[in-house]
Amino acid sequence: MAIRVNPRFIDDLDRFGAEDVQLCYQCGDCSTVCSHADEVFVFPRKSMRLLQMGLDKKIETTLEPWLCYYCGQCSEQCPREAEPGETMMSLRRWLISRYDFTGIARQFFISGTTEIIAVVFVAILTGIFLLYYGFSGGNIDIYDGEGAFLPSTFIHKFDLSVGLAVGVFLLINALRMWYMTMIKGVTIPVPWWIYLKQLYQFPWHFFTQKRYSECESKNRQPLYMPWFIHLGLMLGYVTMLILVMVYIEKFQAGPEIQWSVHIFGYLASIGLIVGTIYFIRNRVRKNYVQYKKSHSTDWVFVTLLFLIVVTGITQHILHRTGIYEWANIMYVVHLMCVVPWLLRMPFTKWAHLIYRPLAMYFAAIRRDVLALQEKLVYSFPINIK
Amino acid sequence: MRTGVFFCQMEDSRNLNIDAIAKYSANLPEVETVQILGSKPHPDLNIVCEQIKSNNLERIVIAGDMPGYFKPVFTRAMAMAGGNTNEVRLASFLEHGARGENAMDRAKAIVACATMGVPFSLVAVPSGNPVNHATLIIGAGIAGIQSALEIANAGKQVYLVEQSGTIGGHMAMFDKTFPTLDCAACILTPRMVSVGQHDMIRLLTYSKVTAVTGKPGSYRVKIRQKARHVDIKACVACNQCTDVCPVKVKSEFDTGLSLRKAIYIPFPQAVPNAYLVDAENCTYIQSEGEKCGACQRKCPKECINLDETDQTLDIEVGNIILATGYELLDVSRIEQYGYGVYPNVLTSLEFERLTNASGMTGGRIITKTKHINKKTKDEEWIFSPEGMPPRSVAIIHCVGSRNKKYNPYCSRVCCMYSLKFAHLIKEKIPNVAVYEFYIDMRAFGKGYEEFAERIKQEGTFIVRGHSASVTMNNGQMVVRGEDIFNDRLVEFKVDMVVLAVGLIPSPGVEELSRIFGIQRDSDGWFSELDYNGSPTDTDRGGIYVAGMCQAPKDIPDTVAQASAVAAGVLRSLTSGKGIGHLSSLSLSEIEKRAKNIQTI
Repeated sequence: MAIRVNPRFIDDLDRFGAEDVQLCYQCGDCSTVCSHADEVFVFPRKSMRLLQMGLDKKIETTLEPWLCYYCGQCSEQCPREAEPGETMMSLRRWLISRYDFTGIARQFFISGTTEIIAVVFVAILTGIFLLYYGFSGGNIDIYDGEGAFLPSTFIHKFDLSVGLAVGVFLLINALRMWYMTMIKGVTIPVPWWIYLKQLYQFPWHFFTQKRYSECESKNRQPLYMPWFIHLGLMLGYVTMLILVMVYIEKFQAGPEIQWSVHIFGYLASIGLIVGTIYFIRNRVRKNYVQYKKSHSTDWVFVTLLFLIVVTGITQHILHRTGIYEWANIMYVVHLMCVVPWLLRMPFTKWAHLIYRPLAMYFAAIRRDVLALQEKLVYSFPINIK
Repeated sequence: MRTGVFFCQMEDSRNLNIDAIAKYSANLPEVETVQILGSKPHPDLNIVCEQIKSNNLERIVIAGDMPGYFKPVFTRAMAMAGGNTNEVRLASFLEHGARGENAMDRAKAIVACATMGVPFSLVAVPSGNPVNHATLIIGAGIAGIQSALEIANAGKQVYLVEQSGTIGGHMAMFDKTFPTLDCAACILTPRMVSVGQHDMIRLLTYSKVTAVTGKPGSYRVKIRQKARHVDIKACVACNQCTDVCPVKVKSEFDTGLSLRKAIYIPFPQAVPNAYLVDAENCTYIQSEGEKCGACQRKCPKECINLDETDQTLDIEVGNIILATGYELLDVSRIEQYGYGVYPNVLTSLEFERLTNASGMTGGRIITKTKHINKKTKDEEWIFSPEGMPPRSVAIIHCVGSRNKKYNPYCSRVCCMYSLKFAHLIKEKIPNVAVYEFYIDMRAFGKGYEEFAERIKQEGTFIVRGHSASVTMNNGQMVVRGEDIFNDRLVEFKVDMVVLAVGLIPSPGVEELSRIFGIQRDSDGWFSELDYNGSPTDTDRGGIYVAGMCQAPKDIPDTVAQASAVAAGVLRSLTSGKGIGHLSSLSLSEIEKRAKNIQTI
């Protein structure tokens, strides 16, 4: 198969945040210090090389960017200050834009203003819709039950429809990812039983993020901190999503606290608030190499999440203390943050929630396929010379 | 001639005020227009052409750090405007040394000469001074020795100043030279001996230059000679003093891997072949004559005087050569290689001593063994006779070199000496595995590429890929690296790691550059006047640089440069005139001379 070189690829990636790729002189220090690089997936140097050569179609089929958790070891070690860690991060952004069939992701990544305008637009639209709905049938002084401003049955339907839209986008993008990496990216067709055999990898990596903790074992930060916080944030987010999508009617009822669901809500809130504050603080302080450069999407990500958590908690307190009018207003503001945030998900970094465990799953399959292939084709060892 | 001056300065990082120079050049005769274009974007052909036509220019001067870079545009513009393309002239600030204190005046003079159409180098020749026929050489490594011999053999007086107790420098520590694998000592020691015995060379070991006054051709130099406590002329190196000395300290010559006494000779072939007392560790001197003094009593020739004091010496010389050499980067700063943590991680210089037949193991390549210090009861790792030869050795190139955090430059010699190490290990130990981790193989000299090929054929594993990790796993060192050509990660169990450490200027250069008023470049090496044209001269007349102190270079290049310096010195001596300090020429003087030449 002919390989086409895209000489503008490196300039293109500049807009996704990788500025110093051209400095790399291929010493391999980054691969050496990386705790995830192994026999099959050698990175980040190889990705840097593909980038320098402008092989965008080849990079599309690789999984290496997803195997990196950006612990920053490579960037710290790099003798040329070519920022391999940041390059892998930018490649992930670029891959998200490639998996995305709508082209929205690309626009968000290359122009911060576009994203902010889109977020504000969706937020205002949501606000207008909710206020119209609330005033047309409900009373602003009633929070839940008969004649409520935003009754939980309505919110349930509303949530599910937004969730469905997001789910459809994510599913299509994930299928595109599968096509690019597992159909175009492997040399022999993958037998179906390997898919089955490795299926456990997806939930395992989704819920534990085991590999991230391996990353940190070499890092100097105490208590596996970034992994711990990252896991807390992710679990909090998923818990919240389930609560809101499935148990909203029980969740919204009040004013007494429903411990059976609210206990999860409180735990998730702690995870989310600690996580967002931790990430915002690090991005402002730039104290670790992985937080030195912040893309515009990163800022939108953390600020929006922070707003969601703060408005959500405020709304909860107002509701429980009986100030229903303000609780309703805060509810609208909260949803004005939540809806653009959810709709934004398939097109931005948050999509790695799905892509990364999927990539682990695919990587495990590829490893098996390669072993199979080696058994079939190469039966002699390779000598180093 | 109607002249236009165009400033195309790359980056205004140096202390040049382009606006002031532009103002000055606007007042020069015949200058019609002065334009400051900057370097980005590239000057537009059509605009320049339009300028030439509208001002009716007959001559263009491009001024800046690298004006030659922009010359093609201006030449084409001149041709398009129908002018004489020979009249596109360059005023290069960088080439003619517009830097340092007199940078502004120099830059103005450069522009003035260019506008008058007179080459700067024709005008800017400082008047010669009568020259004192003695020469001072600082640093007695191979560069200083070579220069000293060249000049002394021409019959001129040389003062050779060396801060340690013996001449020879780093080359005396080496085992073999690349690529010929000649014995380094066999090349060096005869020269050292002839330096020691030469009538025209006055050797000042254990000495330092403290002050310099005067002008080119007649410098007055103050030299502080540390007390050696041993009479060089009387000492016969019988070794009886060392036998009785109770103090043991690490030997500098063996890079701290073996022990010496407080009264010692650096190595058996040292020149001058006499002992010296290390005042900082001598019990007698430290206790101010209260304790010890055993050597003084023992010496059969009565040549030890522990009460001797430092002396100051004043000499007058015409020329000064700086040959201060280099040292290794402190590699314990680079943590991932484990130097100082794992016992069998060695620097290149330590390995040279290990493999050298005059070294602490007599040339046997062995690993360190654990040993309990009798006095302090501490565990320490030393080279002892029962040490076993390593079964596998990893050599890592570019340690601290070509690295933005340490040395951004290439140290030039590491690739070749690493290959040499591989050969020496293979030669001395049968069935040993040697792994070389490299980034780019820089085998640039005569016979070097062939040498590299030969080492590959000898069965050394040459891994294209740098290693950045040396770890200890159950008492076994593991070197991890990426084998880029074979697209895989490799991990080798090794018994010894040799680090090809980058080179930095020797620690005294900062002080010397202040004493002599010599500029240093951003990496700390002495700046030469012009890298291509006069690589041995400095900004200051009558002061030259030779060898590593100018930039990293191998032995052949060092010797060549040292000889070239000698030629420069002898030129000034035979002509009777030394070339003065360029800064001594005033701007008005240069203008006047340029005008005179122009009217001829």
